[in-house]
Amino acid sequence: MTSLIQDPLLWILLVVLVAAVVAVMRARRTNMALRRKSNDLQSAREAATSERDRLYAEYTQLNAQHAGDLAAVRKDAEEDTKAVLKSAMRTLQVLADEQQLIIEKSQRRYGDDEQVLGDLMMIDHTNSQFGRRAQGIAVLCGGWLGRRESTASVYDVARSAQGRIKHFDRVTINTQVNVSVASRAVEPVAVVLAELLANATNYSAPGTRVDINIQAVPTGVCLIVDDAGLGMNTEEKARATVLLSPQAPVDITSLGDPPKFGFAVSGMLATRYGFKVSVDSVSPYGGVRAVILLPENLLTTDVPEPEGGAAKAEPKPVEAPPAAPQRLTPVATPGGPPRPIGTTAGGLPKRRRRGSPVAVVPSPPDPAEPEFNTEVTASRIGAFQRGTLLGRDTTTMEGPQDQ
Amino acid sequence: MNAHGEEAPVTVTSDFVRSYVITGGRRLPTADDLSLHTLVTLAPDRELPLGASPEVRAIWDLCGGGYLSVAEVAAHLSLPVGVARLLLTDLFEQGHLLRRAAPPRAQSVDRGIIEKVLHGLESLYG
Repeated sequence: MTSLIQDPLLWILLVVLVAAVVAVMRARRTNMALRRKSNDLQSAREAATSERDRLYAEYTQLNAQHAGDLAAVRKDAEEDTKAVLKSAMRTLQVLADEQQLIIEKSQRRYGDDEQVLGDLMMIDHTNSQFGRRAQGIAVLCGGWLGRRESTASVYDVARSAQGRIKHFDRVTINTQVNVSVASRAVEPVAVVLAELLANATNYSAPGTRVDINIQAVPTGVCLIVDDAGLGMNTEEKARATVLLSPQAPVDITSLGDPPKFGFAVSGMLATRYGFKVSVDSVSPYGGVRAVILLPENLLTTDVPEPEGGAAKAEPKPVEAPPAAPQRLTPVATPGGPPRPIGTTAGGLPKRRRRGSPVAVVPSPPDPAEPEFNTEVTASRIGAFQRGTLLGRDTTTMEGPQDQ
Repeated sequence: MNAHGEEAPVTVTSDFVRSYVITGGRRLPTADDLSLHTLVTLAPDRELPLGASPEVRAIWDLCGGGYLSVAEVAAHLSLPVGVARLLLTDLFEQGHLLRRAAPPRAQSVDRGIIEKVLHGLESLYG
């Protein structure tokens, strides 16, 4: 035992053991301290993360709110602008229309002088283009087009549209279709077709022709505009497709400078009146083929009053011809209304009496007189006949009563 | 926007098809070719040209029955005389129309005679 105690090895071992125990103890303490520190740090990190998330959410919310406010402000501004523009355009539309009426009157008044008439036609042409521009902006601002009272044949709608563009002389219209457009759709279809024609003529070489083909299809009537331009690339086509079937009112400031109204106007009108416009096919000449599809409900088979028919002549009392022949007829062919005159016995065409430019007799009496004349003649003869009959009857029938 | 949107659309009363479209933007013939009083009629045995415009068709109907003056044609079509003249010139150049110069102007007659005739007529029909 003593030997064991005295054995230095034992002491060494003991010292080592003690040292080891101390070391382990210290290590454990350090470990504990480190673990505690780590936990602290972790919780601090979590707090920081949640703070960060909260801030991020707040930031996003503020951002969204800002964007929303901005959009609202922009929308308000847009609407205000549109309202102002719309009423301004309305004035311009009315003025253009009034001017057109004045030009029309002048054209009739000075129609015999080909130089004056030619100049008036040029003014008329410019005025029509001006009117179309005003109409286009008005439509984009939610305004309305003027309304036509009567239906018009598809052919006339096409010709009307043709008259509203600069290079109208490059347009040819081919049609075998004999239907009319309902009065409410006459003006919108003409405006849309005019916009498509304007695009077609502006984006094709000067001098090339632009065709309008009007075809009946099972669901209605197609107005097809073909140009010989360069066509549109995919990007332009995509933009046009969006504008032609708008989901929301078009932002007028997004149309570029100078603004390209055509497709936007067409899209707005097509949506509002229920027809379709597409520009995604290629024309036989390699340019753009634009198609307007008018559904059945915008068409009618009512034949419109032919251009310059009776309806048009009525509001113009200046044109006296209808009155004159009636005055003369009783004299020329007494005893009857004017007969339709064909050819003479010799086979020569006969001059029609109506509308002959006889203005020798001034006509202060009221226009009802002519018909009155024939009636008077007839009633006089009738009265005479009745009188003689009565006279003869008196002796036999009424005589006894009177006496 | 809504306050304005309720306005009834204005009715457009101007002519739908403009006169320069009817002429195709061509030069108008001078008044010397077909004066206001020149009488025109359809040549016999003529077929309406294919694809004739509504105006040409109207002229065809008007002039089919007998002679009509240029001024009358224009008035019936409700077109400026110059435009009607162009359409008539076209038809004339295509041989569809015959024309006859205006009858010579009447000599001025003694006013007294005219008054006597007028009184006579008035006593007969007045």
